[in-house]
Amino acid sequence: MEVRELTKRYGAVVACDRVDFRLMPGRIQGVLGENGAGKSTLMKILIGLVLPDEGSIYVNGERTVIADPLHAAHLGIGMVHQHFSLVDALTVWENVALGEPGSLDPGHTRSRVSDISERYGLDIGPEAVVGDLTPGMRQRVEIIKCLARDPQILIFDEPTSVLTPAESEQLFDVLRTVVREENRAVALVSHKLDEIMRATDEVTIMRAGRVVDSMVTADAEPASLARAMVGRNVSLRREAAAIGAFSDVPTPLDQPMIPAREGEPALAVSGAVAGHDGALVLDHLDLRVWPGEVVGVAGVEGNGQKPLADLLSSLLTLDEGAVVVSGREIPSGRAGAMSRAGVGVIPEDRHDSGCVLEMSVAENLVLADPDSVSRHGVLDRRALALRARELIEEFEIRTPGPDTPLWQLSGGNQQRVVLARELSHRPAVLVASQPTRGLDVGAIEYMNTRIKEAAESGVAVLLISSELEEIAALSSRIVVMYEGRIVGEMDRADLDLERLGMLMGGAGVGVGQS
Amino acid sequence: MGDFLGAVGDVLTSSTFYASAARLSALLMFAAVGELVAERAGTLNISVEGMFLSGAFASALGYHLTGSVVLGLVVGIAGGLLIAALQANLSHRLPADQFVVGLTLNVLVVGLAAFLDSNIKPVVEAASVLEIPLLSDIPLIGPALFGQTWPVYLIYPLVPAIGWLLYRTRWGLEVRAVGENPQSADVSGIHVNKRRRQSIYVSGLAAGLAGGVFVLGLIGSFDVGMVGGRGFVAIAAVIFGGWTVKGTVAGSLLFGVADSFRFTLPSLGYQVNPNLLAAMPYILTLAVMMFFAYRSRQPRALAQPFIRGLR
Repeated sequence: MEVRELTKRYGAVVACDRVDFRLMPGRIQGVLGENGAGKSTLMKILIGLVLPDEGSIYVNGERTVIADPLHAAHLGIGMVHQHFSLVDALTVWENVALGEPGSLDPGHTRSRVSDISERYGLDIGPEAVVGDLTPGMRQRVEIIKCLARDPQILIFDEPTSVLTPAESEQLFDVLRTVVREENRAVALVSHKLDEIMRATDEVTIMRAGRVVDSMVTADAEPASLARAMVGRNVSLRREAAAIGAFSDVPTPLDQPMIPAREGEPALAVSGAVAGHDGALVLDHLDLRVWPGEVVGVAGVEGNGQKPLADLLSSLLTLDEGAVVVSGREIPSGRAGAMSRAGVGVIPEDRHDSGCVLEMSVAENLVLADPDSVSRHGVLDRRALALRARELIEEFEIRTPGPDTPLWQLSGGNQQRVVLARELSHRPAVLVASQPTRGLDVGAIEYMNTRIKEAAESGVAVLLISSELEEIAALSSRIVVMYEGRIVGEMDRADLDLERLGMLMGGAGVGVGQS
Repeated sequence: MGDFLGAVGDVLTSSTFYASAARLSALLMFAAVGELVAERAGTLNISVEGMFLSGAFASALGYHLTGSVVLGLVVGIAGGLLIAALQANLSHRLPADQFVVGLTLNVLVVGLAAFLDSNIKPVVEAASVLEIPLLSDIPLIGPALFGQTWPVYLIYPLVPAIGWLLYRTRWGLEVRAVGENPQSADVSGIHVNKRRRQSIYVSGLAAGLAGGVFVLGLIGSFDVGMVGGRGFVAIAAVIFGGWTVKGTVAGSLLFGVADSFRFTLPSLGYQVNPNLLAAMPYILTLAVMMFFAYRSRQPRALAQPFIRGLR
């Protein structure tokens, strides 16, 4: 299989930009890149879930258009999905039968499931209900479902993210059987360096929708892969240039701030454990932020950043551990508790949880604290308008007026509304989660300045971002998250991009500890 | 209290009670097993009420025009399918909200049926009673199960047919998958909204038949108020039954029995406020919903629209 010049756009975002990619029988091709680098989109195109805008696909030398997953299956392409394609309420054999042509033959399907599970050592009972299985066992079902169609090309999308180390090892054994003995082609998509080094024959590295490098794995070094993945010398971002970052090593916005870091931390998370769907999303996470510092949380997306932000927005309940804000322990998961304790959050998705687009600018500005402009539960329209005008002026929100519905504002101005709302009730801690995603250059600069000013005025800022440039430009201290834990920490002054990249890829952590 | 227990005792020993309970249960069962299929595919199909009434009127019309019970039932099914076609295509081809569509259809059918009824005034007669020899002589339950008009007996093949369809065919497997996890079904190459539309047609067919059986098998006449919420009670039966075939049958029996109390009590000479009596099945429905809403596990994607590419 081969694709050439494949391009896919979502609105203004180019998910895949003239991608060339090849899969050969008998070889395991790795695809390495951060989340959002375009790996998943590329794979979805190969399996027919997404149609490309441009480019051509060749299967066995013939040019084809893969219209849907059924067509892909017909061409001999199977995929083991990152988010499982299984139906919880059905049994194993029912799931395997799902989407196959022909009439239903329970006996035959059951015996086929048993055959395949025996041949590859994937121990599973065909009558088990999928919803009762552990993530590792569910993946076995997924693989069996895929192999039951005897595909020539197998695609694994982040297969080990839900597996224990022993299960990962077993998965690689299956991969080897499939490739060496049965001469199938395999694509292994991953953001984990370890995995790519151990399991693949060749590796393609993607960043920002492009293939940035391709090499034989045996000749590659983890450090060079890490560098290519996080893109030190290949920064394509105008934004980075705009904020004056990234010539070679990024420079902080102005002089490095001197963090006080004495006395009591404004925010202390200790031993936080939380699970989701059987996997740990926070794994004994420890984190302290003192007033006046900006702590940047770096990491490949999907390593617990969102649960961390959710925890500090009272959206997530901890199984173990505690959150202490300004010396007081705050119960997790109780609506509004964190906000009342003085934690302001600029959420990752402002459309989803940051604000109500249909409501006016003024209403959005007081949404977190309507008591400030109401008497006995009745909104005081005049106080509301007054307060809105103050904030619009202070935060330079460009809007026709306070009563304009929020959706009419640009993304940057919407984000200013969220920022104004959160800073206006003088938080002790400000959590900014991907605060500049999707914004233009000017808006990014404004956000960054405001965040820095907040820190200087004594707010403890936790900056969660997948943009290394942003983290490097703003933070006084950087911590790295990997699989729900903080795996490394460095002061801004000691920034070492190579080490950062390694930590983000999980190298030096060792798969064995997870 | 003694009076009440006495009344209940009288009712329970009256063979007319069993016969009417069986009829009314069967009636609900037609609509409920169809609704079950739609819900397993992920549609909370509230237009089943409208399908029911549409089927009732259409069968009255069909009988009026042809004088045949069989053709009357066929036209009744067509009446149910017509509403199903509107529901299916508006909510699972076009992106209209399924509840808005369902509510609108329910109101529409009442208006349309009343209008046509007053203009055409269809003349209807109930089908003949078909007593199964020997079996219908069993005391109390004999006449109930084997002494009904023949359209009522259609429930006997329909229930196992629905069970077979859901659990023994590839179509049924796909329908269940679509109602649980449409994204996974899509990834597996199943046309999610097509399966959902098809399952609404099954619901329309069954509810239309329910209407036909009501008019031609039970009452022998048509009235716009006759369905009076039984479609909604059928939905309650599905919920009570925890979205299984057996449970849905049990739910239909429960609500059918409650329904028949209100007809049997006055006929045995007891004076009960008729309005209160009429409210009884619905009070029971509410009580049951409060209790069972927590217990049962509904299809995970119930009432959630499916749009490709969204996760």
